[in-house]
Amino acid sequence: MEKSVATLDKGTTCSAWNYCGQRLAAGSVDGSLCIFDACDPASSSFSRTFKIKVHEASIVKVVWVPPEHGDAVACICADGSLSLWEEVVEDSQPLEWKLCKSFESKATKVLDVQFGALQTSLKTVVAYSDGHVKVYELLDPLELKNWQLQAEFQNAIDSVSTFGRANCFSASISWNPRMGENQESSFVLGFNSDTPQLNSPKIWEFDLAHQRWLPVAELALPVDKSDQVFAVAWASNIGRPYEMVAVATHKGIAIWHLGLNPDLDGRLSVENVAMLSGFEGEVWQMEWDMSGMTLATTGTDGMVRLWQSNLNGVWHEEAAFDTSS
Amino acid sequence: MPGVASESGGGGASDSIGGALVPFLPDSQVAVVYPLRHGLKPPISRVSVSWALGNTLRVSVFRPPAVESDHDDDVGGKVLEVKLGGNGDGELSDAQWRRIAYGSVSPFALLQSRRNSALSLSKMQLSPSPYHLEWWEYVMEYSKDISSLLGHPKSSPDPVIEDPKEVLKKVEEPTCLKAAWDLMEMFYADKLSQAWLPERLVKWLADYDSLLSDTQATVHLKLLEFQGRLVTLQVVEDDSKYWEVVSSALAVGWLQIVVKMLRLHGSYQLDQLGSRETENGLVETVAVLISKMPRLCPELEAGNLGECYKAKPDFMKAWERWRAQVTKLDSSAFWVQCDHRQTREGLKNLLQILLGNASILSTVTCNWMELYISHLLYIRPFTVGLESLYSLAQKCIQLKPMTSPHKLMQLIIGILGENTELILAECSRGFGTWMTAHAMEFLTAGSNQAEVLLHEERDNLGGISVMELHRLVHAQVLSSHILTWQIAPIYLISCMKQGMGLLEILLSRQPVKHNQLLIKNLEICRLYELDSVSSNIMKIAGIYHWKHGRKGSGVFWLQQARDEVCLNRIAQQLFDTVGKSISDESFKQWEGLIELLGSESKPVGGLEFLHKYRDFKRSLNQVYDGKPTDATKQAVESLLSLMKNPSTPQRFWLPLLYDSLKLLNWQERPLLNVSQTNLLLNKLQELSMARVRPDFIEADLPPQALSSVRLALATNLGRAILEES
Amino acid sequence: MEITGLPQPPQVHRIPQFRYVDSIRWLPSISPFQKSLIVAFFDTDTSTPSLEIHSLSPSKTLSLLSCWNPPSRISSLKCTPSLIAASTFSGSLYCFSTAGKSLESVVAEPQVSVVGRDFHVGPIGGVDLMEGGSDCVSVGEDGRVNLVKLGFEGYHGKGNCRRVFDGNGLVSYTAVRWASPTEFVTGGCGFGLQWWDLRRPGSAVAQFKGNWDQGTTSGIIHSIDIHPSRKHTCLAGGSSGTVFAWDLRWQQEPIILSGVGTNENKTHSLSESDVWEVQYDSYIKSSSSSISSSRILPAMICSEDGILAVIEQGEEPLELLAEPCAINSFDIDRQNPSDVVCSLEWESIAILSRP
Repeated sequence: MEKSVATLDKGTTCSAWNYCGQRLAAGSVDGSLCIFDACDPASSSFSRTFKIKVHEASIVKVVWVPPEHGDAVACICADGSLSLWEEVVEDSQPLEWKLCKSFESKATKVLDVQFGALQTSLKTVVAYSDGHVKVYELLDPLELKNWQLQAEFQNAIDSVSTFGRANCFSASISWNPRMGENQESSFVLGFNSDTPQLNSPKIWEFDLAHQRWLPVAELALPVDKSDQVFAVAWASNIGRPYEMVAVATHKGIAIWHLGLNPDLDGRLSVENVAMLSGFEGEVWQMEWDMSGMTLATTGTDGMVRLWQSNLNGVWHEEAAFDTSS
Repeated sequence: MPGVASESGGGGASDSIGGALVPFLPDSQVAVVYPLRHGLKPPISRVSVSWALGNTLRVSVFRPPAVESDHDDDVGGKVLEVKLGGNGDGELSDAQWRRIAYGSVSPFALLQSRRNSALSLSKMQLSPSPYHLEWWEYVMEYSKDISSLLGHPKSSPDPVIEDPKEVLKKVEEPTCLKAAWDLMEMFYADKLSQAWLPERLVKWLADYDSLLSDTQATVHLKLLEFQGRLVTLQVVEDDSKYWEVVSSALAVGWLQIVVKMLRLHGSYQLDQLGSRETENGLVETVAVLISKMPRLCPELEAGNLGECYKAKPDFMKAWERWRAQVTKLDSSAFWVQCDHRQTREGLKNLLQILLGNASILSTVTCNWMELYISHLLYIRPFTVGLESLYSLAQKCIQLKPMTSPHKLMQLIIGILGENTELILAECSRGFGTWMTAHAMEFLTAGSNQAEVLLHEERDNLGGISVMELHRLVHAQVLSSHILTWQIAPIYLISCMKQGMGLLEILLSRQPVKHNQLLIKNLEICRLYELDSVSSNIMKIAGIYHWKHGRKGSGVFWLQQARDEVCLNRIAQQLFDTVGKSISDESFKQWEGLIELLGSESKPVGGLEFLHKYRDFKRSLNQVYDGKPTDATKQAVESLLSLMKNPSTPQRFWLPLLYDSLKLLNWQERPLLNVSQTNLLLNKLQELSMARVRPDFIEADLPPQALSSVRLALATNLGRAILEES
Repeated sequence: MEITGLPQPPQVHRIPQFRYVDSIRWLPSISPFQKSLIVAFFDTDTSTPSLEIHSLSPSKTLSLLSCWNPPSRISSLKCTPSLIAASTFSGSLYCFSTAGKSLESVVAEPQVSVVGRDFHVGPIGGVDLMEGGSDCVSVGEDGRVNLVKLGFEGYHGKGNCRRVFDGNGLVSYTAVRWASPTEFVTGGCGFGLQWWDLRRPGSAVAQFKGNWDQGTTSGIIHSIDIHPSRKHTCLAGGSSGTVFAWDLRWQQEPIILSGVGTNENKTHSLSESDVWEVQYDSYIKSSSSSISSSRILPAMICSEDGILAVIEQGEEPLELLAEPCAINSFDIDRQNPSDVVCSLEWESIAILSRP
């Protein structure tokens, strides 16, 4: 049933598959980025085809850029730097991976980055250790060099007050994966920080009329609002009358339904439909499958868990894989 | 969600995870934990997951970056691919499943299109039932088509010389999948056989009893064991096992085997005939009675024994007559004359079976299904209707409880009990998503109640019906494999609510690197008119090729995608290259790309400029000092058309004019007339105004370029005025 | 005697393979009693490609004679009576000599292997072997056109490779076919065809640009065939069911045999999906009695939507096979043109015997 498809080098700390699952990018403790490819179409055996040093510090996260803009990955390093690398062939030179952008940040560290491929342009959300969020927009669809800062805000419903001296340990961003022409772009973001107001996941939506980002929903029960968030994941919606977002905190994994249409205040209705618990430790990562029916999670207990809802709409753990054995 | 990755009992990770769906399962049920064998030395520092297409999960397992003491080991982690659920319990290999998946596409598609036309017909006629009366005939046709994919049991021709001691014939190994399909067909699709269901069940068990041996004791297993012993046995009738096996075979109605075995009896041997006349007569009489047993069925397969009756009254009459004969023989005086004790008792036992002695039937059968069949044959031969069939089955289960369940027997219980949920759950758990998605056609053909249950849209499922859910789940399993994802759309388009959504995602996640795969993907987009998906795929392909040194392919796909924005940007990039480096030699390479851009009517973005530029360059290269030639005229025309064309970018004006200096400074006579020269001067004026703007990009030219162009134009203007006046 | 015009349908045998069939060709055989095939497979369960020679029994069963595992999947496969050439998705070329060898040992090991960045970068789109000669031409998405002179008998090694043209990726070629010992035709994006003459190196001697369609659709050429008796005409098949002939003597006007075509000429459109392969069909005798040299000879095509058919200029197409899945390649047995073999998308091979 399980089959080994690739062997990672010593010191590998993180990995990410591209949109079609045909390329693997892996970051390593010595700051090098490795790319794995299959030698044939349809082959499921991947081997390393490139290795480049991207930074002095360890890479902690790699994220692929949407394929509409080429084969590129963003690397977040342990020192909080963020850089964008792209695979290109220039003037009959051999294939190479080139640095196309370094996102500078002086005192703060980058905690997470995610790209949203939108009809109009590519946007990227970057979450920083001071609780700030920056949204950049790509100016030229062919060049990953030129980014414009579109907005900067803190992850709080109350946009007036700012929280100085926030200290964030991790952040998790997930774009609404819906593809479609007239879809407003939106994403969900949660922090794991010492500032309670920043923690709870908020849905941010771009208000086209006023060209600004607005929080349209908060995914936490009133008593849980200050809970530190480990991970968020927005499910793809193939036709449900609601959106689905999973949120992991120390209490477990919450599944939220999110209304599609805003009310008069511009807010989206939210409903907590499940609270999945009963496992030890912290959640590292959550991923929805392509239909949004199954949620896969990993965590400090070394288990991969699969969660599904049954015919009655009751969420439960369907299966688990133990990697520690 | 139901069915994707749930599991049924036991086994390590080597068992494929059956897609179990037991609806209304108590929540307390604990999920099964599988060990994931990655072969790495502990400790493991981190695990990350990523979904590939369908139900394929990729798990990366990392070791801590700096562990002392393992200098010998360079492995820092493994990436594993886990295929979740789908194909039952591993009875068939992946390749066999793919063959079934390919083969079921046409029957499924045909049935769907028939349903759609039946539905639209019924809408027009406002008839209460959406289906024709003959709907089941379509389902039957569908069932037969699919059944032929699953194998042909019991179809092997008889050998020419039969081995007298071969009681069980070797035939193609039957599969549970085929057995389950036959069962569904028999109960739901084959309306003609409803009158003789018990007889069909007898035949079904005869075909598939061997499969039950996986978890049950069976008559088949007994026979198999005895066949092994038979070769060494001298006098069969002395062996108690012989009589036991014969009774068991009789109890489940395998008359041919029984008669064949009876004729192995020692009294048939030529040297024995004289001394064992009566005994032999009794054996033969029993054999004849058995082979004359009345059966309620349209026809008997060749070689099957018994007398066949199509109409129930005839059958009942014949049955009474036959039973009377059996009773008569049972009380005959000849038994006293039979000296051979085992024969006498054995034969008497057989008669008791024929007479329906419940306790004997219970002893000689091995599991409830066999007991059930024996009851149908000998105790309640006139049973009709699912209800009575079900209550009899329940009685038999009570008499012979299952120690360990068997998926086929579970399925029968579901069918007899008319429990649609249970049937679906058993199908999905025991046979995989393929079975569930395809067997639903039976259930809806079988009963209105099931139809309502399957078609009802449920909020708990995000607004879809159970039917749609199972098709989506099957489509997702198909999507998991590189060779079967292309048939997933057939199932997805039959899903009214969420099929298209999933199809769009499926198509958008296919690799674009290789043209053949890309084209197959685009073909599906074309079939289902998914134009925006197809444009996006072509755009991804265009960008991929463009950025990987295949500019021609890149431009081609972007043109196909009609992506003006990217093409315009590409045009700009090309100007740079073209302006910088076009020599005669390298131009030959460009030729192909420019040809590709085709005529002006195509959406090429700013790239049509390149076309004109090529013409301009080409004629410019043929221009030599001296007398103006056609080429000179051509070059001037090209220059003007380039300068007039709005798609020629501003920053290219100066380089163009600079390139044309020799035209502007033509010795013999001015090549441009007054208005033409004015046009170029205006452009130059516009250019110097634009230079003030911040986004202006300076051309890479010598510093005196502008002034020399200006001077040349001024000179040309002067000479032109003189000439014209 | 047949009275009706309907010809008898061919006998079809479908042989499931449980592996993807990348390409399939008849092997010219010495004995009329032994028929054999060369097949490029890809086993998705193990991710292994293989190149195999199978003999075909009269009862249409295959038995393996010899096998070789290339380092990458086969992208194009061609055979002549003495040679086999196979190119891969990773840009390498392998050639096998069949002369004087038993079929059991033919593909045991390639006699010529051309590998490396200097040859092709990325997939090779097409290869072709010169009939009766020992030259192999290969074209790729990288825009390169290479000529490999295959060595003499008993030679093993890299062959003698020379670059005919390097398009530097500004063009991509997807198909190639020899026209004469010094000329060949390539095809690529935008329905473009290029005629090359080795005696006039540097660039193509003639170009056909596929802009007859005035902005409707454009496409890719997937396959080219040239008939030995009509070396001036090139038959090409590609996207959107397009099959056309390009006559060097009337370069501007392609003769469209099938697909979305000009408005003037009514053509029979067999299929709207991609035509993967075209071959002249010598089995069908041209129905018109006047054999004019400008008339295009009958040709067989296979398509993504599962059609195998014979098309003839101005005639109704004759459909031989309509499969529910794509037919990715086919080959007509040159020694016995009534026999056709095709590779089907659904991991199987179909063998047709025409009456």
